[in-house]
Amino acid sequence: MILRRARYELQGRLGGRLLAAFEGWLARRRHSRRRPGPFGPPLESSRKLKELMSVHYFEGRYADGAVPVAWVTSGFPVEVLRPLGFHAVYPENHAALCGVQRLVPALSDAAEREGYPRDLCSYARTDLGSLCSGRTPVGRLPRPDLLACCTNICQTVLYWYRALSARLGVPLVLLDTPYVYGSTKPHHLRYVQDQLEELVRVAERISGRRTDPEALLATAGKAKEGTELWGECLAAGRHCPAPWTAIDGFFHMAPIVSLRGTDACNAYYRMLRDELLDRARRGVGGLREEKYRLLWDNLPIWFAVRELSTLFAARGFNFVCASYTEAWAEAGARIDLADPLGSLSAAYTHVLLNEDLEHRRTLLGRLARDYQVEGAVLHSDRSCKPYSIGQVDLRERLARDLGLRVLLLEADHSDPRAYTAEAGETRLTAFMESFG
Amino acid sequence: MTRNEYIARQRQAHGRLSLAVLPVHYPKELLTALDVLAVELWGPPGPPRGDGAGRLQSYVCALARNALAFLAAGKAEAVDGVLFPHTCDTIQGLAALARELGGFGKAIFTFLHPKGPPRPSARAYLEAELRALAGELERFTGRALRPERLRAAMRLHREIDRRRALLLDERRRVALSDSALYELLRRGEWLWPEDHLAELRAAAGALAPTPVQEGVPLLATGYVPEPAGLFGALEEAGAYLAADDYAAVGRRLSRPREDRGDEGDPLRLLAEAYFDAPPCPTRSADSRGRMRYLEGLLERSGSRGVLVHVQKFCEPELFDLPALRSTFAARGVPLLVLEGELEAKLPAPAVTRIEAFVEMLTAGRGA
Repeated sequence: MILRRARYELQGRLGGRLLAAFEGWLARRRHSRRRPGPFGPPLESSRKLKELMSVHYFEGRYADGAVPVAWVTSGFPVEVLRPLGFHAVYPENHAALCGVQRLVPALSDAAEREGYPRDLCSYARTDLGSLCSGRTPVGRLPRPDLLACCTNICQTVLYWYRALSARLGVPLVLLDTPYVYGSTKPHHLRYVQDQLEELVRVAERISGRRTDPEALLATAGKAKEGTELWGECLAAGRHCPAPWTAIDGFFHMAPIVSLRGTDACNAYYRMLRDELLDRARRGVGGLREEKYRLLWDNLPIWFAVRELSTLFAARGFNFVCASYTEAWAEAGARIDLADPLGSLSAAYTHVLLNEDLEHRRTLLGRLARDYQVEGAVLHSDRSCKPYSIGQVDLRERLARDLGLRVLLLEADHSDPRAYTAEAGETRLTAFMESFG
Repeated sequence: MTRNEYIARQRQAHGRLSLAVLPVHYPKELLTALDVLAVELWGPPGPPRGDGAGRLQSYVCALARNALAFLAAGKAEAVDGVLFPHTCDTIQGLAALARELGGFGKAIFTFLHPKGPPRPSARAYLEAELRALAGELERFTGRALRPERLRAAMRLHREIDRRRALLLDERRRVALSDSALYELLRRGEWLWPEDHLAELRAAAGALAPTPVQEGVPLLATGYVPEPAGLFGALEEAGAYLAADDYAAVGRRLSRPREDRGDEGDPLRLLAEAYFDAPPCPTRSADSRGRMRYLEGLLERSGSRGVLVHVQKFCEPELFDLPALRSTFAARGVPLLVLEGELEAKLPAPAVTRIEAFVEMLTAGRGA
């Protein structure tokens, strides 16, 4: 145990950094050979992002047996696990990584061979397939001691984690967050807090530690600051030209998802914010030439993100904001350090996908105004029904109420087999032509 | 008599309001106690019709697409409101869609039942959620919920469930075809409970002293037994449903624990009874518990095969498919997966697959 712990610490501090440095050197060599495209100069912070996430995943390889490991859904209040020493792994983030690297068809095939139908969420299929086949782009994922699932992003995660629990024989703790129609009822928030208290006891038993109230407070404070810093990074996109693109934002959100509540996460976002504001002051844009500003709704299409962003950028269209990245900047305001558990309950109940369509319409309207967009692409995502249901109506409302040009694009966040590139490109080109 | 005529008659004769109710789990006893007729909306089957047909994408389950099109087209004018239980992401989204962005213009209620195991937090929450819904229904009906009325409604529904359970548990002795039995059971989705009970009492005469079903006994698990043509196809192939785990039918039968009494706050008792119901993935029972329950059903019914009858895109059901396959494969019990989209008629390939499945089960058995 002591040796494992020492190896975990050493690999995190040294091995991960060495690996990240080597990967950074390779990336710089590739960049130096790249021809200039429609994009502005790359963000300097991207190198740090790569290092941060490489270290996180590298450290994870040595986590099991050294520290307690939890596999956690992106919307779970990880603030209660960090003070207990858990190393948190985010299967959704891992699945997105597999999506970018176009590994999903092979991993999904492995899950489908086990009997999971292709109609299920591609993130779930990817991770179940990774588990069945042992294939992963990150070397290895540490075996969990605890599965921690919160239904504030969807019910799918519960079925997915239930399957993981049965397969791995690992306890599952659930935070069931009643959906918010209009406003929350007091007994809904009470329920979330009661569950939080119950699951903390389970996590304490598994970690063999008691929660230190000071440590919980400190972690909640860091999470609050982190989401606020992330919000400041996003807000930089209000400048014209925007100093980055929402597509950049999809990649730079990894720390707020996976490292929320840590010093490393906050240090990173301070650096990114400062760089973005500096670019804005100097008039350096995410695109070389920004003619039109757009909004993106729903998850990215990870496997085609480069092609699609280039297609738009080449015509001067910049996605300057996205509801998905914005969702990670909303929760911080509700975290109250005078009442950490109570306010975490409220913060994690009021997340974008756990609130009704009126909330979403209001958010999209605010983004459209604040970021001065002229059009929107609503990604109708086969794998994310909570996000996609209602988009047909939202399209009408955004066009009618805000005068936006709106396109509904059917695809999938990580399975390329659910997307016809040629048809998609034709629709997107026609959409861009409509701007004149 | 059509459903609309029945709803109108209930209003005229008894002054009863009515609610359309989306699947699956909801406190029907509460509605009965407040004299509200529940009319369940499982689709309806067939392609979605009307202007609202395209408001949900084609990769959303047919039940939700059809229900939204049905409500938006004004086909539910006879009822006074809609109740959306918290069954899945889709029905949750449907409630938001119907409520906020145009469509159905009548009263909308939600019932957000807890997910997961029966933890103390879930028990306390469910009781509070029932109280909140009761308060909303009291305002809706203009009637006060009297404890003795709720107790009487709970007794009435227990009696209904007992009789429904008897017909399903003793299926081999019930001298009714699957079509006739399921028509009777599914009329409970919209009849006033006392009318349904009267039909169930009348059906008790179909219970023979010895087994009368001669076909191949099957265990069916799934969401809803639609299209009804399924029963004819099974009968033609020489099989019948000996055990039922449909969310619409057997999975909603309350089988209270022996030690459950009648004393105390009826809303608390109602909340407790919720956790006695059979495991259902829409309430997120653990997978292993559900498999053990289904194995018990298989053994008690003597079923020789398992029919997994799922709706396309229904995640709660589909995530359990690997566990279902491995559980029954380990016991050497053949399993057939039929995936539907709430069609009006059973597609020909499904009929062929049922025939082949039953033929395989009967080969060498002389059945």
